[in-house]
Amino acid sequence: MALLQIAEPGMSAAPHERRLAIGIDLGTTHSLVASVLSGVPTVIPDQEGRVLLPSVVRYLRDGGVIVGEVARLAAALDPHNTIASVKRLMGRGLADVRTLAGYLPYDLSPEGGMVRIRTVAGEKSPVEVSAEILRVLKARAVEALGGEPEGAVITVPAYFDDAQRQATKDAARLAGLPVLRLLAEPTAAAVAYGLDKGSEGVFAIYDLGGGTFDISILRLRQGVFEVLATAGDSALGGDDMDHAIAQWLMAEAGGPAADPLWRRQVLQAARSAKEALSTAEEVQVHLALPSQRPWQAPLLRAQMEALVAPVIQRTLPACRRVLRDAGLAPSELDGVVLVGGATRVPAVRATVQTFFQRAPLADIDPDEVVALGAAIQADVLLGNQREDLLLMDVIPLSLGLETMGGLVERIIPRNTLIPVAKAQEFTTFKDGQTAMSIHVVQGERDLVQDCRSLARFSLRGIPPMVAGAARIRVTFQVDADGLLAVSAQEESSGVRAEVAVRPSYGLSDAEILGMLEDSFAHGAGDAARRRIAEARVEGERVREALDAVLAVDAGLLDAAESQVLDSARASLLLALGGDDADAIAAAAKAVEDAAEPLVQRRMDNAVRRAMAGRSIDDWGD
Amino acid sequence: MPPALCPACGALQPFRPELSLFAVLGLPEAFTVDVALLRERVFALQKRLHPDRFAAAEPATRLRSLEWSTRLNEALAVLRDPLRRADYLLQRQGVTAMGEGARVADTRLLMAQMEYRERLEDLAKRADPAGLETLRGEVEQAADAVVERLHTLLASIPSREPEQAAAAVRELQFLHKLRQELESTEEALQNR
Repeated sequence: MALLQIAEPGMSAAPHERRLAIGIDLGTTHSLVASVLSGVPTVIPDQEGRVLLPSVVRYLRDGGVIVGEVARLAAALDPHNTIASVKRLMGRGLADVRTLAGYLPYDLSPEGGMVRIRTVAGEKSPVEVSAEILRVLKARAVEALGGEPEGAVITVPAYFDDAQRQATKDAARLAGLPVLRLLAEPTAAAVAYGLDKGSEGVFAIYDLGGGTFDISILRLRQGVFEVLATAGDSALGGDDMDHAIAQWLMAEAGGPAADPLWRRQVLQAARSAKEALSTAEEVQVHLALPSQRPWQAPLLRAQMEALVAPVIQRTLPACRRVLRDAGLAPSELDGVVLVGGATRVPAVRATVQTFFQRAPLADIDPDEVVALGAAIQADVLLGNQREDLLLMDVIPLSLGLETMGGLVERIIPRNTLIPVAKAQEFTTFKDGQTAMSIHVVQGERDLVQDCRSLARFSLRGIPPMVAGAARIRVTFQVDADGLLAVSAQEESSGVRAEVAVRPSYGLSDAEILGMLEDSFAHGAGDAARRRIAEARVEGERVREALDAVLAVDAGLLDAAESQVLDSARASLLLALGGDDADAIAAAAKAVEDAAEPLVQRRMDNAVRRAMAGRSIDDWGD
Repeated sequence: MPPALCPACGALQPFRPELSLFAVLGLPEAFTVDVALLRERVFALQKRLHPDRFAAAEPATRLRSLEWSTRLNEALAVLRDPLRRADYLLQRQGVTAMGEGARVADTRLLMAQMEYRERLEDLAKRADPAGLETLRGEVEQAADAVVERLHTLLASIPSREPEQAAAAVRELQFLHKLRQELESTEEALQNR
């Protein structure tokens, strides 16, 4: 129908005309583009009718670029120049992906900033590689829609941090796509279902892809999709099931476990068996053992399900957490939606059904549902639909600042609706301090070293004041795309510093997962470490203050008082070297008590000086 | 018509940071809030003010929309939570209940808090989910009782008993923190 709406030349800008809007699911293993055609969200196939574009890019010596199925087939022959799963590298530094480098065959450049991949066509950043995928999808859309898209909505995993979102937006810019909005994948899936069914209520979106797991809870009401909570396990997916089956096959069939070709064959057989067993009760697995006779054996669905059960069980902690964060019991949900190819496995559906106490919804193709939702949102944002639709996402990980002692001051907790702004006041730690360094981190743990560093910047030119007198207001602003900007201002002088957070690197998926899990596993240990760190900060403050005073006014004390103070100070230094928060606090208190006469006399002197030579009248105003 | 939109033409107005969270929503300043109604009001306004509504507008308008939309989310977050709502109302009359400079020692309360904390630590050590569940019930009941008290203390705005109200806010803050610790302890046990 859309293809028949032929406009006269020069008339195409008529305001009532539909503006071309597309939704893109830029996935780890494959990507899709969709658009709303004649009111129906539709995925756009290529000329051969294929909807899924493998997210694989091959660079050729002559500068040519191949994207998709053809590139995927060449991966084994030309591994260094054929980039798959580039999504895992988006917004990441070399240090972050070192853990992945063990099984990624790429030659990564050691330059600073985001990782770069060395290919025959030169060094490529993950942003550039992703842009190649987006270009192909865009061309597909131009072909099918008969014109350049005016706006695109691109989906990102809900747990994507600031760096990864920024990198995704950059890739779109590079591909010449005007981005209307970055949208969380589960939210997009909810849109596809919500509008399709016209339903209202609270829904869980269970998204198990090839390599990632996301669980989100959304409230749908009067056209508003409000994310109540989101959690994930970003190193868990269908691939892990394949590996579990392959391991079993390897043990059953024997064969050279170290041979990469053999391993690939077994893994492929495992994947095929898993897919076949989604519908069949039993399959025959055939393997060609190197230099031996062929091996074959039956695999029952029940056997396969026992093998993958541990993988599926690992999704449940995140499910429990998201319910807790949303303050809901499973019985309070109105539905559970399945997204991602791995949810085709019947055992996954059964586990979801048991946990959430209801049959999950899966009537939209789980591979297509995210792109369809993105297309709907793009259509709404360009004003093509009267639909009264509003999507309210959250930030997936808490944002905070480093404070003294390597502690994190949490400014915006995870699962806060965006856009959001929050200001917090800090002060100087030392007399005469004129600069303050500001370190922004993301994560759930109490100590900076356990969170992900987002950005560092300095506020300079603070007028010299006594410690604690400056009032430094740090403001975080997270926009509707989940992108962060931070500014800092000293209130009395108006000195400002600002930074759009464009971090040079990020965390690996496993690290984000690890950080979230650690914060729950080690909550108690963190609290103890936090107490020690806080006591140390206070102890150091007392020591510094004392030394500053003694440097000027040591003469105000008599010999006995001096001795008491000196010994208290020595005890404090000793305590600061240890790990006992109570001992540090007690020693700091003893120093303060011993310094009492000194403080009193200083105060008297200061008042005398201030009053000297003034008449009462001077104090009148 | 909400203050964000022109009463005559409905156009987006410049952001007014001085407006209270209640005023932004056109709600009366009060401790008693119907959360369902609050949510409805916020989202009805978000539908008209959210940056998505101005996806194609010029940067100045988009900034305005971002500011209003941010403020609406803040209003929802603060006003739907009895603790933050009470603290906000007290702040509006110049009383700092939580944070720096608000640490007041009420010996009886401190003793009760220490006792709660010891029970939590003990239950965590013994990995006793039933005991944790019981304690959680008690904590939630105690929190409900404090909220009831706040309804009385904040019956008129500004409060005629701001100091008692501030003390109640601190008590509620402690109970909220304790409940969070209880929940993460329970979760850690479940995931073991």
